[in-house]
Amino acid sequence: MIRAAHIAGLAGLAALAPAMPVGADDRIDLTTTWYLERRRGPEGGLSVVHPQLDLELDAGESVAVAAGYSADVVSGATTSVYSVDAVSSATKFDDVRHEAHASLAIKGSRSALSIGGGAAVERDYASINLAVRGNVDLPGKNTNLALSYNHHFDQVCDRDNGILSGLERRALTGFERCDLSSVLRVQDRPGETIWRDLRIDTAQATLTQNLSPTLVVQAGLFGQVLRGFQANPYRRVRVSGVEPQESVPDVRGRAALLLQANRFLTGLRAAVHGSARGYSDTWGVSSLALEMAYSQYAGDALLLRVRGRVYQQSEAKFFKDAFFYDTEGPAGEYFTGDRELAPIRNVLAGAKLSYIGIDEEGESVWGLFDEVRLDLKADVLLLDELPADTESDNPAGIGGQFLSSGQLIDALVLQLALHTAF
Amino acid sequence: MDWRSFSKRARGLLSGAAALGLLAGAGCGRFAVRPSEKEHLADRTMRFDADPHEAAADEHVLANREGATGGRGTSGGGCGCN
Repeated sequence: MIRAAHIAGLAGLAALAPAMPVGADDRIDLTTTWYLERRRGPEGGLSVVHPQLDLELDAGESVAVAAGYSADVVSGATTSVYSVDAVSSATKFDDVRHEAHASLAIKGSRSALSIGGGAAVERDYASINLAVRGNVDLPGKNTNLALSYNHHFDQVCDRDNGILSGLERRALTGFERCDLSSVLRVQDRPGETIWRDLRIDTAQATLTQNLSPTLVVQAGLFGQVLRGFQANPYRRVRVSGVEPQESVPDVRGRAALLLQANRFLTGLRAAVHGSARGYSDTWGVSSLALEMAYSQYAGDALLLRVRGRVYQQSEAKFFKDAFFYDTEGPAGEYFTGDRELAPIRNVLAGAKLSYIGIDEEGESVWGLFDEVRLDLKADVLLLDELPADTESDNPAGIGGQFLSSGQLIDALVLQLALHTAF
Repeated sequence: MDWRSFSKRARGLLSGAAALGLLAGAGCGRFAVRPSEKEHLADRTMRFDADPHEAAADEHVLANREGATGGRGTSGGGCGCN
């Protein structure tokens, strides 16, 4: 199950998806991303291959259409029981997720409106979304205001637990069948599996302001409400000696504030970028992310960017280190083994090299294109898992509760992209 | 869940956004940058999330490592040549 965290994240991204640059060149963009994460135990690490293909075409002076496809091919180790020893319950899994989207954009002299939608499907998850986005340049074209809204109609396959609740609920094992004939057609299998709803509403407002000929800033406010089944139906948590399916609240509200700036360094043909993002949600997770980047042109055709990002979050109110769920029981009615709800610190360092070819004096690039950009990117991710409870009271420690525990450099992202305009 | 505590934090975020909006509004009117001065603002390095594929893939990766997805900004900005 690739599922909800991606969907919620992509819901946010879809809500702020750019209005297509109507009147610009037609475009084809092709990107493939490889994500490799180290994991402890004999089952090996986690690998995700994520191809993306998008096409944009002008359909007249003020209308453009776009369509795209992406996929996730996931394989690797996962842990099925959150306990002080994650390795002992590690298993191998694989999954494929397909996603397609399309949009229509209409543009006036200072404003643009785009309407779109998409669908995603995997073995145990189906998602349909609708999105609308508008933006307007204020007089002088130094200020741009953008508003967006996105709604997801999602369905999650879960074990049919009937009237069982709390510590009695059983998790999916992976051998049950989830009837899914298309993204629009799912069917329960009484006594085995049922489909449960998840609705996601996402809104975002951003203000972009030119402050000088070399400085532009942006402020963004993001809000999201998720209603419905949000647990991982496969994950069990060892609670007071039993191993029920994890249990999290049905409603989650999220808010985030982003401030970012780009400064062009004229003499160096370079730019510096900085951003800060604060986040808070109703489950008690709060976080701060700080990012800096530097872009440098080299000659006419090469652009190098290096960047670093530091992120830290607090745990959800109902998250406990595994030892305490087992010895003390849950926090209220909820219990989870989701690493995303644990206190963590995440550091990213990366570099991206771009080759940029632009047609000059009527000479097409490679005889075909007005513009070609070839990108090669690599990011290294470092994860530091922090204790949620008092360390001195935890004889088992937190080093074994996640498969990733105890490894400083735990993931690598490689990306290769070809962008063309014609 | 604790909507009261959340709404307090959300109000803080809103206040921050309002303060920044006022600052931006006060510091730069409609003539802050003239069209003839926008050469560098139009450069690809000055656009926020200039590569939607990269932004989507980044969001994809981080959404699976962190509990705080969403709100990573919007594309565009720079020259105002929408």
